Amino acid sequence: MIDSKHLRSRWVIVPTSIVIVIGVWLAYVDMHDHGVVEGRVFDASGHPVAGASVVLLERGFVTHQERGRVTSDAEGGFRFNDNRSHSIQLEAEAPGLGRTDRRIVRLWFAAQDTRLAEPLRFSAPK
Amino acid sequence: MTTRARSLWLRHATLIVIAIAMLVPFYWVLKTAVTNENIYAYPPSVLPRDPHLFNFVDVWYLIPFPRYLLNSIIVSAIAVAGNVVFNAMAGYALTRTFPGRKVVLALFLSCMLIPFQATIIPAYLITAKMGLLNTYFGLAFPLLSTIVCIFVFKAAFEAVPKSLIDAARIDGLAEWRIIVRVLLPLSKPAIATNVILSFIWSWNNFLWPLLIVRDPMMQTLPLGLARFLSYMEDTTGALYAFAVMVLAPSILVFLMAQKEFIRGLTSGATKG
Repeated sequence: MIDSKHLRSRWVIVPTSIVIVIGVWLAYVDMHDHGVVEGRVFDASGHPVAGASVVLLERGFVTHQERGRVTSDAEGGFRFNDNRSHSIQLEAEAPGLGRTDRRIVRLWFAAQDTRLAEPLRFSAPK
Repeated sequence: MTTRARSLWLRHATLIVIAIAMLVPFYWVLKTAVTNENIYAYPPSVLPRDPHLFNFVDVWYLIPFPRYLLNSIIVSAIAVAGNVVFNAMAGYALTRTFPGRKVVLALFLSCMLIPFQATIIPAYLITAKMGLLNTYFGLAFPLLSTIVCIFVFKAAFEAVPKSLIDAARIDGLAEWRIIVRVLLPLSKPAIATNVILSFIWSWNNFLWPLLIVRDPMMQTLPLGLARFLSYMEDTTGALYAFAVMVLAPSILVFLMAQKEFIRGLTSGATKG
């Protein structure tokens, strides 16, 4: 029979709390690591851009390398389903509009499902 | 304000200043870990600018951090278990009277003067002959028993009344059961001291793992830190985040057992 005094010891409470926090975190990660990256592409005046080529670059040790490419739909939306990284960059390219700035996206864990709060935006032609 | 109260204030103010001076490096490491600031920037900013935790995420994924962490935990657990068991047995033996006891004590004390670096080659050769290179047990091998911790147990066991041990012996307890049933339950501060010291020594050990580990997947956290530094020398924030992640478990163990640790180190100090 385990004494309740022992159960209240910090040698039980602290490791148990750590295990619970890790367990909850792993469960959360498991439910949100499908590798989905969603967002939209807008032109300089704020209209959706259809047919823009959106590139996903994955962080390596030294450089970023291209890992995927999709085309934006009629609403300017795009979606990657297979991101495996925790640190990515996104940029869009469209004929006549040039390229957007690269957007750095930092994730809390690899393959975290995410939706860009701000769309990728082409700058106004000079 | 009375002289006594003034002296108390002065003492506490001095202690606070010393405590702050000792905590500043920790704060600076933590501050750099949550930013990407250059540590040599002048003037330095005291508060972190745009703090974030992504450096920790980078460390977790850019190197096999979970594997290093697991290796360090396994090696430290073996070292801690070995220290508690072997040091308790050795400490108890030294409280007993036997021929050559003083010679053994003198040998132990004199061996403490020899740095590990001086005996590392024989230690390596012995470990290699035993076939323990590149194994968890081999990594923990030199830390399975440490002389300082033997003396911590010896001091704690000597503080236990001899009559209690005699009573246990009259009741028919074998020597090892006297240690387990009588002495160890009365020597919790000594156990805590052993746990903390052996854990920290093992956790921070760099030279020994560097020598005997050949497989990158057997590396421990300090080796991983060196590897990380060689790969990513420009990412100060991630490097400091790694340092925080390496330090955190040993600080946690120390904070959990600090009361017993201090009691363990000072037990027997006022004896006689």
